[in-house]
Amino acid sequence: MSTPILSIRQGIKRYGSVHALDDVTLDVADGEFLTLLGPSGSGKTTLLSAIAGFIRLDEGSISLRSKDITKQPPEARDFGMVFQGYALFPTMTVAENVAFPLKVRKRPAKEIADRVAECLDLVQMGAFADRLPIQLSGGQQQRVALARALSFHPQVLLLDEPLSALDKKLRADLQWELKALHDRLGVTFIYVTHDQEEALSMSDRIVILKDGKIQQEGAPGDLYNKPRNAFVADFLGKSNFIDVTVTGREGDVLSCAADGAKFEVEAETPVEVGTKTKVALRPERLRLGAPGEEFLSAKVKQVSYLGERCQVIVTHDSLGELLLSCATWKTGITPKPDLPVSIGWDKDACVVLAPE
Amino acid sequence: MMPVSAFRIFFQTGAWMILAFLVLPLLVVIPVSLTDTSYIGLPKEHLSMQHYVNYFSDTEWLHATWSSIWIGLVVASCAAVLGTAFAIGCWFLSDRASAIARWILITPILVPPVVQSLGFYRFWVQLGLIDTSLGVILAHTLLALPYVSISVFAALVNLDRNIPRAARSLGASVWQTVLAVVVPAAKPGILTGFVFAFIVSFDEIVGVLFITVRRVTTLPKKIWEGIQDNIDPTIAAVATLLVLLTLLITAITALRRTS
Repeated sequence: MSTPILSIRQGIKRYGSVHALDDVTLDVADGEFLTLLGPSGSGKTTLLSAIAGFIRLDEGSISLRSKDITKQPPEARDFGMVFQGYALFPTMTVAENVAFPLKVRKRPAKEIADRVAECLDLVQMGAFADRLPIQLSGGQQQRVALARALSFHPQVLLLDEPLSALDKKLRADLQWELKALHDRLGVTFIYVTHDQEEALSMSDRIVILKDGKIQQEGAPGDLYNKPRNAFVADFLGKSNFIDVTVTGREGDVLSCAADGAKFEVEAETPVEVGTKTKVALRPERLRLGAPGEEFLSAKVKQVSYLGERCQVIVTHDSLGELLLSCATWKTGITPKPDLPVSIGWDKDACVVLAPE
Repeated sequence: MMPVSAFRIFFQTGAWMILAFLVLPLLVVIPVSLTDTSYIGLPKEHLSMQHYVNYFSDTEWLHATWSSIWIGLVVASCAAVLGTAFAIGCWFLSDRASAIARWILITPILVPPVVQSLGFYRFWVQLGLIDTSLGVILAHTLLALPYVSISVFAALVNLDRNIPRAARSLGASVWQTVLAVVVPAAKPGILTGFVFAFIVSFDEIVGVLFITVRRVTTLPKKIWEGIQDNIDPTIAAVATLLVLLTLLITAITALRRTS
């Protein structure tokens, strides 16, 4: 990473005895789309509020382009912010809302008018300049909020679950638009969400938080394919978990034994023979075959048809229930309850997890 | 035609009776104000405007009216500023702290006026504020404050808590945020509060009786004295004018709201 635009060092925030942020260290690259992902109470919003300056860290520091801003008030930080509830000023028109940050900065009237028009066009709201926020739909309000937060060329744009109040279809459309806007403007985005699909679809990098601690950070594909622990494997997408004992090792390939099943796992990190550990297995990496075709025999318990995919719960005598997801258009067999089947997977499908 | 049920007749009659109970005592002042007698009573031989003429030509009545108006305006302004500041401050506080502060603020409404006026009297004596306009203004501002705060609270209740944060993140200081964003949102509440505060002051009698003697006379006090000293029908004329004025203002606001 080149010089980061924003750095958080050993950030700690306590509420009573609870650590909302527990030793968080994070660098944000200039122009990056970074997502803070986690369940509620994970500290993601606390972290964003600390970056914005609404709350003061108990310990640790925040710096912007190597300048310490830990004690600066929000208005001195020059970060645009977009909120879940839009937070538009109800008594001002759309244009006045977008002009607000420029007026506060005492820019000349001509420049303000030009910039407001430019920003409203950017979010396709030019035709609504004279409306009041209450006359707009949720999606339109959020576009205005976005234009307002971008109008003063902020150093960083902070987005606090901006899409979660919108309906599903609109949310998907706005995801594409946000991503396109980011790529076009080159502004650094720090995006908070609890929605893993949003995180995966838009981010350059995702930081997964739980109990105020960073669990793992990386590109969406890396996190999805190489989750470090069971929490990440379960929170980002779905996973089957199997407790195994490592019985042998040849190069990168481990031989693993679970109750009544033996299989091989490719591991990047060295694991000692004899270790008991947990492996994660993505539902879409499981193969479904006729009895005897794959290496474990199982029985279908339940099927859920989702259109382009179908999810199947199969039961194995000793491994228990496993979730399997297969494309509906290329299954050799049609799964239905109580059908005897066999299941298998490639040796690079399992990920060895670190204890949490 | 649909048969009208007994149930319906009962409730319609009841509703009209309650309405009459509320309005008739108000309306009775109108014929009384037009009486040709020199005491309070219904007109005997013909209608007369003499008590209206008396009101508009009597300097004492006019002076009392003017006192009530200017004191009311000053009180409404002071209460609007202080009450708004209080409500906005509470809005920024946590829910718990704000609930406590609000309970303390509305105590003036809860305490009986006589007890409160006694308190004013004892305190104002020490401060040398007895029988001064300033004393009346201070007492009335205290009484009117909760009304302003309550209506400003109501105006702010639906304002998104993130709005001040949004303003700060966009570069506004705390002061700019309050003046440019929160106060405009509270404006309907401030105006309502202003009107309420004016009415509270204009209407107030108990406190005025306790803390004024000769120099300061407000309209309610003058009416009160009028009833005690002589039963002058000018009181009815004043009352009629007030009723008509209230109706006029209500009608104007109602019309403005529908247009």
